[in-house]
Amino acid sequence: MKNYVGLALLLLPFLLPAQEPATGTPATAQDNVSLSGHVIDEKSKLPLAGATIHIKGTTHEVQTDAKGAFQFVTGQKIPVVFIVSYVGYETSETSINRYNDIVVSLHEASTQLNDVVVVGYGTQKRKALISAVSSVTAKDIKGIPVAGFNEQLQGKAAGLQVNSNTGIPGDGAFVRVRGATSINASNDPLYIIDGVFVNNSSLQTVNTGGRATSPIADINPADIENIEVLKDASATAIYGARGANGVVIITTKRGDYNGKARVNAGVSQGWASAARLWDLTTGPQHATLVNEFYGNSYKDAVTAADKAKYQLAPFRPASAGGRGLPEEQQTYDRLHELFRQAHIQDYNLSVAGGSKTSRYYIGGSYTNQEAIVKPLYFNRASLKINADHKLSDKFQLGVSNSFTRSFRNQGRTGDGPAGGMLQSALHTPTYLPEVNADGTPARWAGFDNLQVLINNYNVHTTSLRYIGNLYAEAKLFRNLTFRGSWSLDYNNYNESEYWNDQTQLGAAPTNGLATSAITQNTTWINEQTLNYRNNIDSRHSFGVLLGNSVQGNTTSSTSAQGSGFPNNAFTLISAAATRTSSQAWTKATLASFFSRVDYSYANKYFAEFSIRADGSSRFGTNNKFGYFPSVGAGWRLKEEGFLKNVASISDLKLRASIGVTGNQNGISNFASLGTWTGGAGYPDNASGDKAGIAPQQLANPNLRWEKTRQVNAGLDVALFKNRLTLEFNLYSKYTTDNLLQLPVPGITGFSTYYSNAGEISNRGFELSISSTNIKNNNFSWQTSFNISGNRNRIEKLATPITQYNRDWVRLQQGYSLYSFWLYKQLGVDPQTGNDIFEDVNKDGQITVADRQILGNAAPSLFGGLTNNITYRDFDLGVLISFQSGNDVYNLNKFFGEGGGTRDANRVLFADQLNRWQKPGDITDVPRLTAFGNNYTLEQNSRFLEDGSFVKLRSVTLGYTLPRRLTNRVKLETVRLYCSGTNLFTLTHYTGPDPEVNVTSLQNIQGLDLGTPPQPRVVQVGINVTL
Amino acid sequence: MKYIRFLYFFLLLAGFSSCKKFLEVVPQDSIPDDLTIVDKASAQTALRGVYRALSADNYYGSSFPSVGYLQGDNIQWTGSQSIVQQFIDHKVKADNATVAGIWSGIYATINRANYVIDRVPPLVDATLTDADRAQLTGEAYFIRALAYFDLARTWGGVQIVLTPTLSATDKTNIKRSTVQETYAQVLADLTKAASLLTLPNAQNPVRANRETAWALLARFYLYNGNWAEAENYASKVIGNTSNYQLLKPYSSFFQPSSAVATKESVFELAYSSTYTNGHRNQWQPPANGGTRQIAPNDALVSLLNDPLSGGNRNALIAKTAAGLWYGNLYYRSPATDPAYVLRIAELYLIRAEARAQQGKIAEGLADLNAVRDRAVLAASTAASKEALLLAIENERRLEFALEPHRWFDLVRTGRAGAVLGVTDANKYVLPIPAAELLADKALTQNPGY
Repeated sequence: MKNYVGLALLLLPFLLPAQEPATGTPATAQDNVSLSGHVIDEKSKLPLAGATIHIKGTTHEVQTDAKGAFQFVTGQKIPVVFIVSYVGYETSETSINRYNDIVVSLHEASTQLNDVVVVGYGTQKRKALISAVSSVTAKDIKGIPVAGFNEQLQGKAAGLQVNSNTGIPGDGAFVRVRGATSINASNDPLYIIDGVFVNNSSLQTVNTGGRATSPIADINPADIENIEVLKDASATAIYGARGANGVVIITTKRGDYNGKARVNAGVSQGWASAARLWDLTTGPQHATLVNEFYGNSYKDAVTAADKAKYQLAPFRPASAGGRGLPEEQQTYDRLHELFRQAHIQDYNLSVAGGSKTSRYYIGGSYTNQEAIVKPLYFNRASLKINADHKLSDKFQLGVSNSFTRSFRNQGRTGDGPAGGMLQSALHTPTYLPEVNADGTPARWAGFDNLQVLINNYNVHTTSLRYIGNLYAEAKLFRNLTFRGSWSLDYNNYNESEYWNDQTQLGAAPTNGLATSAITQNTTWINEQTLNYRNNIDSRHSFGVLLGNSVQGNTTSSTSAQGSGFPNNAFTLISAAATRTSSQAWTKATLASFFSRVDYSYANKYFAEFSIRADGSSRFGTNNKFGYFPSVGAGWRLKEEGFLKNVASISDLKLRASIGVTGNQNGISNFASLGTWTGGAGYPDNASGDKAGIAPQQLANPNLRWEKTRQVNAGLDVALFKNRLTLEFNLYSKYTTDNLLQLPVPGITGFSTYYSNAGEISNRGFELSISSTNIKNNNFSWQTSFNISGNRNRIEKLATPITQYNRDWVRLQQGYSLYSFWLYKQLGVDPQTGNDIFEDVNKDGQITVADRQILGNAAPSLFGGLTNNITYRDFDLGVLISFQSGNDVYNLNKFFGEGGGTRDANRVLFADQLNRWQKPGDITDVPRLTAFGNNYTLEQNSRFLEDGSFVKLRSVTLGYTLPRRLTNRVKLETVRLYCSGTNLFTLTHYTGPDPEVNVTSLQNIQGLDLGTPPQPRVVQVGINVTL
Repeated sequence: MKYIRFLYFFLLLAGFSSCKKFLEVVPQDSIPDDLTIVDKASAQTALRGVYRALSADNYYGSSFPSVGYLQGDNIQWTGSQSIVQQFIDHKVKADNATVAGIWSGIYATINRANYVIDRVPPLVDATLTDADRAQLTGEAYFIRALAYFDLARTWGGVQIVLTPTLSATDKTNIKRSTVQETYAQVLADLTKAASLLTLPNAQNPVRANRETAWALLARFYLYNGNWAEAENYASKVIGNTSNYQLLKPYSSFFQPSSAVATKESVFELAYSSTYTNGHRNQWQPPANGGTRQIAPNDALVSLLNDPLSGGNRNALIAKTAAGLWYGNLYYRSPATDPAYVLRIAELYLIRAEARAQQGKIAEGLADLNAVRDRAVLAASTAASKEALLLAIENERRLEFALEPHRWFDLVRTGRAGAVLGVTDANKYVLPIPAAELLADKALTQNPGY
């Protein structure tokens, strides 16, 4: 296969066909007067077939042929006036002074319908589009200061759910296109940048409390021209075994042929802070609550041992052996030591231009984003070089290159006590001092000392990324184009941690702990396509795409760990007394063949068929190849006689598609194999380990991709000269053969094995409306709104699967993914103060059988509202995003409302003060006691909260200096702007941010523990073009 | 020109035909499961894999011992997870993750042992002598016996699996055996192990030999009330004083950190910086880089510090700067603390108990006092069978304060109700993990859960 690729590369130049002479259609003289010529597109100079030419004041009318040519035989004498009309173009009235070689050029009407939409292996005009594709122009979203462009998309595209989940720049986001289809395989869309299938699974190996970094943050959003989200089967089936979760196609900026060099510079500075933090008890409040807990527990105690345990309140006078009376306690505010006003800066410089045969874009950028928690930050330096060159009319080649270095100063904000910064600040009881009596830093309750952490954190990640593509395109015949491309996505990911002896992880007897890991991820792709398009006459048009693709992905990593350092000055593992190391390697290959055929009749009826065959190394020997077909049809009613003359309706189209796509990402490359691992050494005697082997996983030779069958029906309407457009989609996705790590009985010696078992459905709608409310020379106001609803359901799952420690989340047949599994608290008995839980099976006691699925983190509705207003030189953009029906489990509160059971080991939240105290109290916070279910039954539904929100996501106000000013200093445009992000959130959620998740585990969403909220950011900036 | 296009097409076809090979990718850090035990060397590596499973975190590494001591009356839990507190409160729920972990950890060990027992006997390799074959399979039989013994005393009767698992479906419809049948399997495996294994040339407590099998037989008979056999097998091990001795002082079997595989140990599991023991992290205080989530309770601290009961066994505990007591049996960094499975002190106390049960008070007292003497304690003067049994019970509580004995001892002697107040006999075994019941329809829950 490799040889074939190489040979094809060598042979390519010889495959170019000989040039064929251009044929014209000279006007032939007739007895009558003959008028002949061409109708062409003003911009592209391409002929327009099917344009109507009418001679003003007559009934004479002809249409251009496939080559855009026309000929009249008429008795009229020049000069005559032609009225030329063509769908999608502005009608032109031209005075004609000659008989032959008349050229009428038409100006394309600027409507959304004529927008070119990037689809798989090609482009289409929106008016001819059958599939469901959302387009986002980069300039609409670039004001939002986040590291990854995917995070900027929230509220901008129907059907696309985006949640940032933490306020740490460069961290992964939760992105779903039309819901989640999988449990074990990836649910992320496929990202394609300039034809390169890019990796978007984190290469992170160090522990940051459960979170993971986003490889998408390696892409500089400023280099992006536009983003297309492919959603239905008709659009995604061409991506076969990787299309089931939608496809996000990113097109980066390129220069213009014949364009003069244009320099663009932008600088922005921003300040970020937390909009809201947690309300905690003061030291005296904490002490009072704990004493009350001891008092109540003493009353409830039955055994002598328990009586003794709770006899003395811990906050009694120090002279009596206590910790001092409650009112003597101090309050230490650690939260405000950790949170800061963070600085965000961004610098961009680009040059774009071109000559007759070449064009180029060169963009450089530097971004530095501090997190709102110390000492984390993210920075990225990137260089982008895109160039194209026409060797001849028939042959063109080009490159896209992006080089990036992303650096992260990281830390553990999330789950786990050791090294966890936010837990140290938030979960340490407020009465505990930060320093011991002797002045040394105090460490409490398993958490690190906050100041020690802030000052000694040493966890870094450097990601070096190259994404590049080289293509060559040749016109073989008139309508047949060959394109070959070679792509590479290379990522070198270098991580290091050093925990000195001040930190818990590195403290004696460990005496310093260091890890280092280098992970390399390489994807190479070779693709060939043949594209044929023929407009047979003015009515029939069809195209054929044929292609193949081979690609391979290798991930390898080498890691080392050392402990026992001479002192804190030595931070490299070479100085460690104990050193261990590890290595990993994995590879997958994919060989694919694909084709698409489209046909349209009179711009009225459209049909499209596509298929892809994917052969994957990941799957069982019995199922190497999968086939993914789709078919779609469209009907533009506007072209029918009964609508053609209805002026108010500018366009009306019905669309439908059905197809099958697959999913194979995210599972182990060797999941289908039965394997033994070598990592099971043991000594033969006391002399040290010798090699050992052990069974690792069970084989499944029948393992295959997940299959998603998707049906889509759509309606596109444009009204009032396209001032109001509406797109509506209804879809139903049904996924079978879900790749599951199916539980096997423990007696087999294994706990799970990979199998195709579950089924998941997603059903929903998408509505996008955009409207030009006002448009005149001085003032314009555009509004766009989108709303999507999705209902997810696990249709078939033999055994429920629980997730995360304490099994907060459960996957169960009949319920949505991301469902929480809890005991339902019905209320607190006003007489006794005891929690009343729902006894589901009515057996008189609360057991596991009474746990039920309550709520889930998937929203039922989400979307966004954008308003763009320009008045003279001012522009204003406002984006509101919303989500509703999603629940969040407030784990921070679960820990902070322990009722005193965790005494000195956990903070108490201020909400704990609302506990039941005396008969008649109406509250949902039960009486403080060690006994009964009040505070010992975890997974209490009390901490499940409605996470619906409306966010004022972004507001940008810009002012472009008047031309007469800027021209004087030889600048083309100068724009000053200020913007605000996450300025306001409307929600019932009691935590700081309802968009939150502690883990990067894909089946868990909405677990709020130890992660900082998304920041509120204010920015000012300037853009200069010359 | 046409020729070249034809060639291109040909190459495309060539691409098709080589696809199959292109799509075959083999891992580099694992091997296919049909190429595992093929010669002497691979048989040895597979057996080491069995020991590694035995010593894994979800078995003897930390989870299984924790069940043994948490359910006793020595240990408290200071962490936030109630799944650990459930053991101390004797209110273990079927969805307890530790219970599920131990279940799968033990059966993973059994599956690995089954591979060795299944594959090694028919192995054809000139360098593999019959003695090698017997030793390799004997060790696997021993480990399987220990695994079923631990299953029986933790859950009662369990499903008995004696063949390696080759596919996801080849262990279906296996019903639970009774506790008697499970113990019968233990005895069968131990008898087989004792016959296959050889006597050690030199003491090697990290691997099983005939004396290790004897030691477990002694414990097996003690649990099953066959006092004569318990005494018999204990004596066989105690008799080899060149291999096994009650080391003085008490702490010398775990301190200093170089003290591993001492003469105190009949069987202990070895760890290294590559394969660490998860225990220390839970025992050591934050100042030592741990969490001290598991800690000795006040009662144990005062008993160990009392010179009349603890003697020099107070080396098991230490105090933080803030005055909190923590267990110090698992303390090494990196965490290479051995897992102590069978100590010679246990053999003495097994024999003491077996003898007391047979009315041999003086001999039993001598065995007990050997252990007390090592702990620098005055000799016990228990005069009756009852007094002697109580003295042994109390001795075992402190001798194995941080090892997994207390709970199992009180359950097997029927004293859990009197000592711990656990009167519901259903709670003497743990619940079958809820997830296992879902995954295996043939499995049934223990009563009361």
